[in-house]
Amino acid sequence: MLFVLLGLTIGMATVFAVYGLLEAMRAEMMRQASEFGANVVITHDRGEMTFSYGGIALPEVLFDVEPLTLADVAAIDYIPSRSMITAVAPKLLGMASVNGREWMIAGVRPQEEFRVKPWLRLQEALPEAERKMELDIYWLDLARQDPTKIVLGDRQVLLGSAVAAALGANPGDRLTMGGQEFVVFGLLKENGSLEDEQIIMNLAAAQELLKLPQEVTVIELATDQTRGAERVLLDDLAAALPEAQITSLQQERLRRDENLTRMARFGVSISALILLAGILVAALAISGAVRERTREIGIFRALGFRQSHVARIILLEALLISLVGGIVGYAAGVLAARAAGPLLQIGTLAVPWRLDLLAAALLLSVAVGLLAGIFPARQAARLDPAEALRFI
Amino acid sequence: MAEVMIAMRELKKVYGSVDGEVRALRGITLDVYKSEAVAVMGHSGSGKSTLLSIIGALNPPSEGTIEIDGINIYALSQERRADFRREYLGFVFQQFQLIPYLTAMENVLLPLVTKRLPNRQKRELAEQVLCRVGLAGKMNRLPNALSGGEQERVAIARAIVNAPPVLLADEPTGNLDSKTGGEIMSLFRSLNEDGLTILMVTHNPDNTRYMGRTIVLKDGLLCHDKAEILALAAGRGQRRGG
Repeated sequence: MLFVLLGLTIGMATVFAVYGLLEAMRAEMMRQASEFGANVVITHDRGEMTFSYGGIALPEVLFDVEPLTLADVAAIDYIPSRSMITAVAPKLLGMASVNGREWMIAGVRPQEEFRVKPWLRLQEALPEAERKMELDIYWLDLARQDPTKIVLGDRQVLLGSAVAAALGANPGDRLTMGGQEFVVFGLLKENGSLEDEQIIMNLAAAQELLKLPQEVTVIELATDQTRGAERVLLDDLAAALPEAQITSLQQERLRRDENLTRMARFGVSISALILLAGILVAALAISGAVRERTREIGIFRALGFRQSHVARIILLEALLISLVGGIVGYAAGVLAARAAGPLLQIGTLAVPWRLDLLAAALLLSVAVGLLAGIFPARQAARLDPAEALRFI
Repeated sequence: MAEVMIAMRELKKVYGSVDGEVRALRGITLDVYKSEAVAVMGHSGSGKSTLLSIIGALNPPSEGTIEIDGINIYALSQERRADFRREYLGFVFQQFQLIPYLTAMENVLLPLVTKRLPNRQKRELAEQVLCRVGLAGKMNRLPNALSGGEQERVAIARAIVNAPPVLLADEPTGNLDSKTGGEIMSLFRSLNEDGLTILMVTHNPDNTRYMGRTIVLKDGLLCHDKAEILALAAGRGQRRGG
């Protein structure tokens, strides 16, 4: 019977470890999706689509279209579902020449920008010697940049890593653009995104530099999907900004959800196979135990136990073992899921103890145990008592 | 005239085997009366154990009928026959056959498990019979903590806890020394004196002294050869098994 318990425990542990992992990953993705990153991008919907920002086609930014303005940004504050928006990051995009080469200028509100792009990090101004000693692990820092520390003056800029490398610029260096002199406030760490190739400055400074006062190219919004329905937010935005094109990045989340669903299906398939194997192992083990207990069953029958009594004894034993297997398996599954988070490099996952899952584990385990016990129970009940007692 | 408790008529039992048929019983006709104590003797292969299993409602005869207390036991369904065993028969097996992981008390409680009685009443019944067989102080011991004689007493207590009218015993003293065997046989006699009908398979001629009647089986039939009966009763030519 130890093998039955072991088989059931392993089966249950696997099922609930996989389920716990998937649930925790889904929760973590939802949390990240609502906490980090832009979920909605607002652009103007007229003009030729000749410009791309972050994979999203933008209207021609420099001419030929009626642009978004700061008034549009302000209008967002008055929509009914404003509480869903956690950050509003307007930006003006354009080109400017530095040392004879054209670079993309991004005029932003730095603190909002860092909120919607949590992957942005400032390089620390470390001494040269210390910088050489940095280990790779240093770059695995996952703490987000504190946006409140990014306070740019109107003549200060942040340089993307590629720009800084091309210009050989360091914090404190001076750059001249459009006849205006800017001081390099800091350098962004390389992150493989569009910002590597940008010169970032205050929105007002960019508007002045590009001679596009009040103008905004794109407005990115970070939203908290847990505070309301995205559809309502999009409708409110469309009503407030009738001329704008509003794009939801829900698609991205759907894609993630789809991946997660695939993983879930895979997990369910694996779990089903393991459960099936568990049922077979348990059935074989119980069947073996029944054979070993032929003598005992013969005695029971001689003492007046009916076939149904004998079957009930076997099933009751399977039930008790299943209950223990369910409890131990669930506990082992939760602990395994918690331990698997760091091993799978997805951080510490919150896999809580849940009474409903414990109840499900017990039900599942009992179902598996009883299913595995049915055949051996019939086998035991049908033992001919005279045959069984011949072993005596 | 005494009332018949067990009535056997032309009982035959044939086992099939690869070597052909084995005729274990070839026509036994026998009456056992209420409160009678009968010893069944015979050489190995004479059909003693087969007869006991047929009387025990465990092994249907190939031919013939058997009635216990007027009930044709093999006309009953399997489950009703199990009920019959519980209500009418007590078994004392060779080598005690106690469940090793149950205490003496729990072993004795076994036949009561399926009875609809309050647990307290079941325990009282078990305690009474354990006291009756002289195990008052050893009720909570596991079988391996008991001597052979004590284990035999537990087996007897288990057989009588349901107060069956018939007790079937297969070599009850086979694993005991003569002194302990004598004590056990005295216990059987005492139970018989209380009205229990006893049918006992034995190889030990000494045990027949405690029984009211001795029958001898030979080649699946009742033996009527007086010389052979006397030889067996005197302990000559006996072999174990059967």
